[in-house]
Amino acid sequence: MSAEQGSPEPTQDQPERVAIGISFGNSNSSIAYTTAIEGKAEVIANEEGDRQIPSTLSYVNGEEFSGTQAKAQIVRNPRDTITSFRDFLGKTFEQIDPSPCHASAHPVSVNGGAGFVVQDHTEVKQPEKSTLSVSEVTTRHLRRLKQSATDYLGKNVTAAVVTVPSDFSDEQKTALSASAQKAGIEVLQFIPEPIAALLAHDAKAQIAAEGGPASEHQDKIVLVADFGGTRSDVAVVASRGGMYTTLATSHDYRLGGSSLDKVLVEYAAKEFLKKHKTAKDPRETERSLSKLTLDAESVKKALSIGGSASFSVESLIDGLDFNLTVNRTRYELLSNKIFMAFTRLVESAVQKADLDILDIDTILLSGGTSHTPKIASNLQSHFPESTIIISPSTSSSAINPSELSARGAAIQASLISEFEKEQIEESTEAVVTVTPHLHNAIGLVVAGGAAGKEEFSVLVEPETPVPVRRTAQLTVKDGGDVIIKLAEGGRSIVVSAAEKATTNGAADSDDEDDDSDDEPEENRSKVWATQKVIAEAGLRGVKKGGKIEVQVNVAADLSLTMVCREVGGKGGVRGVVQAARVELNGNAA
Amino acid sequence: MATIQLTATLPSLPDGWSAEKDFKPIDHLSAPISRAIEPVGPHFLAHARRKRHKRTFSEDER
Ligand SMILES: Nc1ncnc2c1ncn2[C@@H]1O[C@H](COP(=O)(O)OP(=O)(O)OP(=O)(O)O)[C@@H](O)[C@H]1O
Ligand SMILES: [Mg+2]
Repeated sequence: MSAEQGSPEPTQDQPERVAIGISFGNSNSSIAYTTAIEGKAEVIANEEGDRQIPSTLSYVNGEEFSGTQAKAQIVRNPRDTITSFRDFLGKTFEQIDPSPCHASAHPVSVNGGAGFVVQDHTEVKQPEKSTLSVSEVTTRHLRRLKQSATDYLGKNVTAAVVTVPSDFSDEQKTALSASAQKAGIEVLQFIPEPIAALLAHDAKAQIAAEGGPASEHQDKIVLVADFGGTRSDVAVVASRGGMYTTLATSHDYRLGGSSLDKVLVEYAAKEFLKKHKTAKDPRETERSLSKLTLDAESVKKALSIGGSASFSVESLIDGLDFNLTVNRTRYELLSNKIFMAFTRLVESAVQKADLDILDIDTILLSGGTSHTPKIASNLQSHFPESTIIISPSTSSSAINPSELSARGAAIQASLISEFEKEQIEESTEAVVTVTPHLHNAIGLVVAGGAAGKEEFSVLVEPETPVPVRRTAQLTVKDGGDVIIKLAEGGRSIVVSAAEKATTNGAADSDDEDDDSDDEPEENRSKVWATQKVIAEAGLRGVKKGGKIEVQVNVAADLSLTMVCREVGGKGGVRGVVQAARVELNGNAA
Repeated sequence: MATIQLTATLPSLPDGWSAEKDFKPIDHLSAPISRAIEPVGPHFLAHARRKRHKRTFSEDER
């Protein structure tokens, strides 16, 4: 791939920049780098061996704990344990939703923003507790991540590409950038989480197909569904020649893995009370609830792989131990409503993009909750068979969904780490990124199927940015003189009733369009049709069985060049179609 | 992008069809939609470079 050719000169006056990829979620963070030799992205395990590092800090007698150790302190030390703060950055205190922090340190207002009051020092000081802004908490957390990456790589990490949700505001980015700076990390670029996930997925597919024809990017509509801990985000992306354009996003700030933990907590608590009729409700004691919640999360994760898993909580409440085995079927039944909510969120993004589920070629499942097999299989049955679902349970080559966005960030970091900061900023500005995209497909009018009916064959998909160039080949069986009609085409969804064995009388079935949840009694398919012919080319004297090549080149100004020739033959036809001059002249053409 | 292989039949040139240099422009492309490409990945970098240097695909390949 020649994309890196001609990149600008590396910065000379600075010490070597060591850049990594960071994904920073409300629940977990990951750090990743690319290997020097193979250029493969790898997620780094921290000193505790974790690749998903809880975004949690805890202060025990003034000493700072992070990651898994900090998360365990939610039980003993809830008010000195800080969780779920990423989304508070760059927001006013009034704008934040404090509910994910109910079991840990509660956010307070600090200089108009969010913050936490914790005892973070050992010496006897006045006041005893410190008030930390969310920016300071973020700096401390990122400092830990930087240290882990530095220890692992044996080089001082100085820069990073950081992933953020697709709806992260400029204020949030500015705040995160400043916090990172204080932790000694220069943020080279923020990239949207779904795009990072897609980049990591495509890079792996690329390596797997190295050399073969599939190593080139295929145009496809990809829906990236990021199901996290406290929130879930979906993006519909047009992937065209390896470039990504986000068509729509949808978000649910209350739906995630912790919603599933709660389902298991409810179930476990009820079972506990059935066994111990006189015991106190463990949901009503903070410490018991936290114990149960932590255990529920482990049970839930185990149920992603196994058919059953067990709660095992010592001294849940009143000194009573709690053991309970849950099988996957039970879990899936209990969680059905929440699983449906994930499907609905995905569906809403398809609608926002003004697409049909038939338009979605691939669904890439990202985020920790995407390990859940039932979520993937629900999507599989909601979407047509043509939609490929990439998740651990549906595709053997899927990358761990918990690692996707960090890996993507690392790949981007390796691509841009030699650029100067200003150059990176310049190429992310609107003058470079905002580009005309084709509204319709461009293709050929051909004689298709058995009946020789006219059909439209796509060369350039809709939503492709220009300039674009596509080349197609086809064989002329009988040879002779042929006409190549280049046209714009549109797709429609054709609904045909599936053959029903039922004798429904002669009743007019016109008004059967009530969208009831009945068994689907219809076949829906995607059909392309010619909308308007743009140009015709005549190619004469083609050999019997000769192969023809058609190249279409659409320039940035929407002028189009078409070149048709017989492969191995002489000459050919070349022509240009000028762009419509709508801006200059209202009645152009 | 890899070459697209089509399995379709081309219609024969109608009798009496003629055009200068055998090419007949008929209509313009419809107005495009303006959208932002994500500034991410190797192919975007190539796009940004072409845009900066105002180069076409074939010039870029030289
Ligand atoms: N194997 C698994 N099976 C089921 N759920 C899992 C599995 N691994 C992790 N999870 C869940 O994934 C969620 C965390 O996902 P992720 O790490 O993507 O979150 P995040 O992006 O940091 O969080 P947030 O959505 O809160 O910003 C947790 O609820 C966790 O329990
Ligand atoms: Mg997330």
